[in-house]
Amino acid sequence: MPVIFLGVSQSYPGKPQIIRCRSLEKETFSCWWKPGSDGGLPNNYTLFYSKDSEEKIYECPDYLTSGPNSCYFNKNHTNPWTTYIITVMATNEIGSNTSDPQHVDVTSIVQPDAPVNLSLETNTSANMSHLWAKWSPPPLADAGFNSHVYHYELRLKPEEKEEWETISVGMQTHYEMTSLQAGVKYIVQVRCMLDLGEWSEWSSERSIQVPKERLPPEKPRIMKCRSPEKETFTCWWKPALDGGLSTNHTLLYSKEGEEKVYECPDYKTAGPNSCYFDKKHTSFWTIYNITVRATNEMGSNVSDPHYVDVTYIVQPDPPVNITLELKKSIQRKPYLVLTWSPPPLADVRSGWLTLEYELRLKPEEGEEWETIFVGQQTQYKMFSLNPGKRYIIQIHCKPDHHGLWSEWSPEMYIEIPTDFRAKDMAVWIIVGVLSSLICLVMSWIMIMKGYRMMAFILPPVPGPKIKGIDTHLLETGKSEELLSALGCHGFPPTSDCEELLIEYLEVEDSEDQQLMPSHDTPSKNTKIILKETDSDSGRGSCDSPSLLPVKCRESHSLPSVLQTQDVRAKEKKGGKGIWETQCMASEQKTLPCNSESIKSCTWLAAQLPSNQAAMFAYHSTVEAFKITLNTTNVNTSPVLVGNEENRQSLYPIAETAYDDMEKISEMEYSRSDQTMVQVRQNQQNDNSPFLNPKLMDYVEVHKVRQDEEPTLLLKHKENSGKTKKCTLTGTSKEYTKVSTVVDHHILVLLPDQRTQNTPVSQEPVAETSQNPQQSQTEKNSSYSTTAPSDSRRDTSGSDYMDPSSFMPSFK
Amino acid sequence: PHPPSPSEGRGRPGTALTGPPLCGAPEEGCDGRGEKHFPRDNELGRPARKCHTSGMLTPNGKEYAQKIPREELTHLILKLLQAWKEPLSHFNQHIEHHQQLPDDSLSKAKEISNMVHELKTGVEKVTEKMQSMGIISNSLNGMASSEGTGLSISNEANMMSDSDFIHCFRRDSNKVQSYLKILKCRIMPENSC
Repeated sequence: MPVIFLGVSQSYPGKPQIIRCRSLEKETFSCWWKPGSDGGLPNNYTLFYSKDSEEKIYECPDYLTSGPNSCYFNKNHTNPWTTYIITVMATNEIGSNTSDPQHVDVTSIVQPDAPVNLSLETNTSANMSHLWAKWSPPPLADAGFNSHVYHYELRLKPEEKEEWETISVGMQTHYEMTSLQAGVKYIVQVRCMLDLGEWSEWSSERSIQVPKERLPPEKPRIMKCRSPEKETFTCWWKPALDGGLSTNHTLLYSKEGEEKVYECPDYKTAGPNSCYFDKKHTSFWTIYNITVRATNEMGSNVSDPHYVDVTYIVQPDPPVNITLELKKSIQRKPYLVLTWSPPPLADVRSGWLTLEYELRLKPEEGEEWETIFVGQQTQYKMFSLNPGKRYIIQIHCKPDHHGLWSEWSPEMYIEIPTDFRAKDMAVWIIVGVLSSLICLVMSWIMIMKGYRMMAFILPPVPGPKIKGIDTHLLETGKSEELLSALGCHGFPPTSDCEELLIEYLEVEDSEDQQLMPSHDTPSKNTKIILKETDSDSGRGSCDSPSLLPVKCRESHSLPSVLQTQDVRAKEKKGGKGIWETQCMASEQKTLPCNSESIKSCTWLAAQLPSNQAAMFAYHSTVEAFKITLNTTNVNTSPVLVGNEENRQSLYPIAETAYDDMEKISEMEYSRSDQTMVQVRQNQQNDNSPFLNPKLMDYVEVHKVRQDEEPTLLLKHKENSGKTKKCTLTGTSKEYTKVSTVVDHHILVLLPDQRTQNTPVSQEPVAETSQNPQQSQTEKNSSYSTTAPSDSRRDTSGSDYMDPSSFMPSFK
Repeated sequence: PHPPSPSEGRGRPGTALTGPPLCGAPEEGCDGRGEKHFPRDNELGRPARKCHTSGMLTPNGKEYAQKIPREELTHLILKLLQAWKEPLSHFNQHIEHHQQLPDDSLSKAKEISNMVHELKTGVEKVTEKMQSMGIISNSLNGMASSEGTGLSISNEANMMSDSDFIHCFRRDSNKVQSYLKILKCRIMPENSC
């Protein structure tokens, strides 16, 4: 037989516990206990008590009346002035256990039961609602009349609220309340208490609904009256608040000038709380006096009167049949044509009602409407719309006289097609392609010619270049070769002129000796050359002193002869001014040499007195100005005036400096326009007969036409501007020989015979050049030198200059 | 108070009277924005309000206006215009002494008087034309301008208060405008009717 363990150990019972003792009315009381663990065996409970300090222990008289685990002490066993000491003992087979003793004072445990039979009633009279509450005292165990006197307390609250209102009622078992809200449901409870002890529990709840107040209705209000077509009209009102009672509304009206009051003919057509006046009942130019009356059980109420003249309350319906049509104008711009119809009810045909229209539109995403007043027409053309956008359009209307705007018609949408013309795009594409091509070409040009352009923009700084000089040749000292080397064959005339001019030597006195063996000392020549270029000796330092014009010429050649030269001298007129004019005149862009030569002339002239050294050794001025002329193609050649004696010495130098020395000897006179006349200034102060190289005068000689004014030079310049050479066109230049020198500083010039015949002086020049001497003698007297007077002018028409004579003026 | 807009014989052939609507003040409710802009409507019921033209029997609805003969309608229009001629000038004189009125009120009032006068002249001309064309008969010619009735009516008008005057004028001008339009569309229906 299997052994079954119950798992419950058997032991003596747990300790019971007295939980409560209570007396209902001070005459009886009960105690209840809670058993402890039963130890696995049935327990017996026994309650023992003793009174006060008595030692006698009694057992509970009644275990049943108050229920299980209780003990009921009836009247006989209850003594309010006694303190009971109660214990409960639990016993089972094994053992027993006793609770803690409980001291019970009857008077302190009194708590009655709650009252019963609570009933409520309301009574509404004269707009006051009363609440009646009734109840009964709690019953007692021994059925009988409960003669105890209790104190009662009542509490109530509206059903939805939380807070109770507690009212002390006293000893009566009923109560009346008046301050109740109508229409509210209340909940009521009562409780009671004896003189001593505690309040009972609250009775169960009772609720009651207070009926609402019954009032007559409040005033209704007429909201508006409208006529949609100026033939009928409708009025709407707002109903009055009623007290829950059903309310009836009636509309009454009377017309201006009449006493009779009518009732609304039609409450239904226009909906609830409205009145519809049909055509028969509508009169114009008449004021209606309209009121609404609300009636309920308690009474009625009338609204304020509303006066209305139908003429002024016309509010039409919105326009209908709105059509939007996109059309294209001539320029292919789209425009919108709107058409619409007046609302169907409005009788526009008879002229009774005339409507004005207004439309509004906005782009779909836009914020603001643009409103356009259209007037009485029923169509509108709109041009200012953006392609590609969607527009919303609405129209409304109103009578042309007093009246109200209708509601806006329903929204109409229209999308403007984007006018994506192929032509436009093609134009843009072509423009883009062309511009890119142009950019490419420009950049290509820039790349290719960049170098040149840079050179154009930033011209290179000329360095001290000497062209055409072979130092080797200089060393050898062969004059002819040197000359040829220095020859102007294909000598670049123009832009190198300046550089050539650099080669001109400005010979110093001190360096004369050194200069003599110039051929031996090419270095010195170069030095001199360089020196000339370097230093700004002030001698004819336009760029390079004095020799510039010579250099400019294709063939610069010192006339080997100081003998016969035609002096081509620039006539100096008016003193300095002429020089300047000539200088300026000969200034040309293409002839920098000339300009400089001219300048040098001026400079030189100005500086004559101060010149300390001459490039060349000069013969005493008493002798003559030896003027050497170079004329080949070269227009001018420097004319060296110097000692014959020193000529030879000069020549090498000169030859080195000048081109075409041989040519000089040839005495070719071409169209040389200018010659540089180096005139040794005769220093009057200077007593030294020899070598007054103090001054180096260069006379720039222009061949001038016989009958031309010095302004011819200007012309020359103009002409020569055409040629890109330093040469001036010689067409108008002429040469005149120097006949004599007067006073050491006056150059007497011969008129050029040939000039009288032809302006071109080429051949005759040659002739005359060959016979300078003769001519000199011949025409000695007839020519006046360019005297120091400013206004002197050679009657021959050729203009020559005597720089020396003008020197003072230059100062 | 601003004078109300006069009726204008808009669209009437031969009467190119197209003045601007003179209804400018919001309190007149002229912009038609709602009855709250018609506060004077509640004053309309004052019992004293009675226009001097109230005695005239005029059709007070579309059907009536369409039914009565053209001659009568034309006659009625002229009568109304005539009835207002004198009161308007009187009114103008009256308000000239009002210092508290803004300046443009005076000028507007004069303008209105002129417009009414021109309108009357125009209607008379048109009536003559119509009569000559046989559109309407001449039967009522003699009754058009009876100075006697006009005088008594005018006397009444001079007694009116300013606001009543304006109210009555507003109404009658609207009447005249409506009648003219009806008449126009009756006689020449194709002209935008």
